[in-house]
Amino acid sequence: MLEMPGADFAWRTAAAIAGAVASGQTSALRVVEAALARVRARDPLLNAFTTVTEQRALARAEALDDAQRSGKRLGPLAGVPFAVKNLFDIGGLPTVAGSKINRDAAPAARDAALIGRLEAAGAVLVGALNMGEYAYDFTGENIHDGASRNPHDLDRMTGGSSGGSAAAVAGGLVPLALGSDTNGSIRVPASLTGIFGLKPTYGRLTRAGTFPFVASLDHVGPLARTARDLALAYDAMQGHDADDPVCADRAPEPVGALLDRGAEGLRIAVAGGYFKCRSAETVAAVDAVAAALGANRDIDIPQAERARAAAFVITASEGASLHLDRLRTRARDYDPAVRDRLIAGALVPAALVVKAQKFRRWYRDEVLKLFAEVDAILAPATPCAAPLIGQQTFTFGEAELAVRANLGIYTQPISFIGLPVVAAPVPLAPLPVAVQIIAAPWREDVALRIAHALEAKGVVAALRPPF
Amino acid sequence: MIRKTQTPRKSRQAKKTSAPRRRAKSKAKPKVKVSAKSKRRSPRQAAQGDAVGPLVVAGVRALGVPLDPAWHAGVTFNLQLILRLAALVDEFALPDHAEPAPVFHA
Repeated sequence: MLEMPGADFAWRTAAAIAGAVASGQTSALRVVEAALARVRARDPLLNAFTTVTEQRALARAEALDDAQRSGKRLGPLAGVPFAVKNLFDIGGLPTVAGSKINRDAAPAARDAALIGRLEAAGAVLVGALNMGEYAYDFTGENIHDGASRNPHDLDRMTGGSSGGSAAAVAGGLVPLALGSDTNGSIRVPASLTGIFGLKPTYGRLTRAGTFPFVASLDHVGPLARTARDLALAYDAMQGHDADDPVCADRAPEPVGALLDRGAEGLRIAVAGGYFKCRSAETVAAVDAVAAALGANRDIDIPQAERARAAAFVITASEGASLHLDRLRTRARDYDPAVRDRLIAGALVPAALVVKAQKFRRWYRDEVLKLFAEVDAILAPATPCAAPLIGQQTFTFGEAELAVRANLGIYTQPISFIGLPVVAAPVPLAPLPVAVQIIAAPWREDVALRIAHALEAKGVVAALRPPF
Repeated sequence: MIRKTQTPRKSRQAKKTSAPRRRAKSKAKPKVKVSAKSKRRSPRQAAQGDAVGPLVVAGVRALGVPLDPAWHAGVTFNLQLILRLAALVDEFALPDHAEPAPVFHA
């Protein structure tokens, strides 16, 4: 067997791994064993994994190699190790969702739908990943499992709630991970750890077999180190699923073949007003991306501050509704910070929640009008680069804001109405920060094309950390 | 740090070891202008602040949710924050025929 050049798979892309495995240049077993060895060696520092599904992964890899040797055509993710935020069901394991309480739950009967779709494309599940408790988190900290750590500086946050997913990808443990994004939980950690994240259109990817948080805002999606890898995973996961009531009944719209069309001809603007950057790093990131794309106009996303507020209210209320029974019986088993927010959410008057839902329709209609003028909108993904673990506040212009509640101030107004977004990392020193590339509903292809074009220009990139 | 070993049914799972920009105005016409004034504590908000503590006590009792006295300050702080943000939405004038969007459809 020919071997891939270089023995180090740690920073290899999913696309490169799949090509090498499918062609027989290397084996799936060798790739997976290398990933498991990296997890053993590095995860004690990163704290990204909560479970390693080693035997399952090795068996799956051997089966792929048997198929390759017998001449069967392997899928587009052949031999690619991946891991999932631990709110995805893994057959035979309780779905902990970052909590203590769910550790007492019955093991999941089967894998989440997206795990099945990735495996059908040849990918190999290697484990479950750390996350903020019940996904009510922007920090990546977890009182039960410890904080996931940022590979660019182990004393800093990964961001959350998909913190383990970001640490695992940014730290070179796996090239691909799945996360969820209710208010920014893919985009915030992608920004703070300097990797790519895709939050698709609401209803695009099935959430079947995932533990919910806020049904009307929950999305799932991939994190990776290139836009190409995001597209590979995204294409493998598309398609209707009757097991998720909000999964759209749309035919898959593959984007992989469209990436090389680049950004030429696309009308791109920069979000102004509410989204105006207030830190040096976000100014630098957005300006660099805008300049590379020739995006020389600003556009107002109307009432974005109110949209963020409405998302906050709906999140508090729906999240509390989900947890009400557990709050009655096991309130002491929650992370106190999550418990206090959930109890508060249970006390929000319904009249205010319905008002927020009415505002959502108004806001959606107004924002969708903007896409008659532009194809994509650029905005910062986070208000700052990664704070220190345990840091309570950060400077925002002349204000001092609470970290936990405000890392998502730029992401919430976008997911509030389900728009597709790619978080694309700008490799600033000493810490990266990402820019949101926001497209019209169902136009993930536009956001991914722009991210890929920026990558080709060297403006965005997932840099290997010095670790 | 708690690291729980999880054992699957069938197989053992190993526990781990710039150029200037031209401003293009959107067509949307905000019905309420966002101003610095709206960010200051209004009389309504001030009244809320005084009322939220008792609301927490009565509300958890009505819902049957336990409240350790040590949690009261944290819950009150969070409810005040939610209500402050809710007020920002509440003050936005919408027509009587506005339909809620309980689930977003793209």
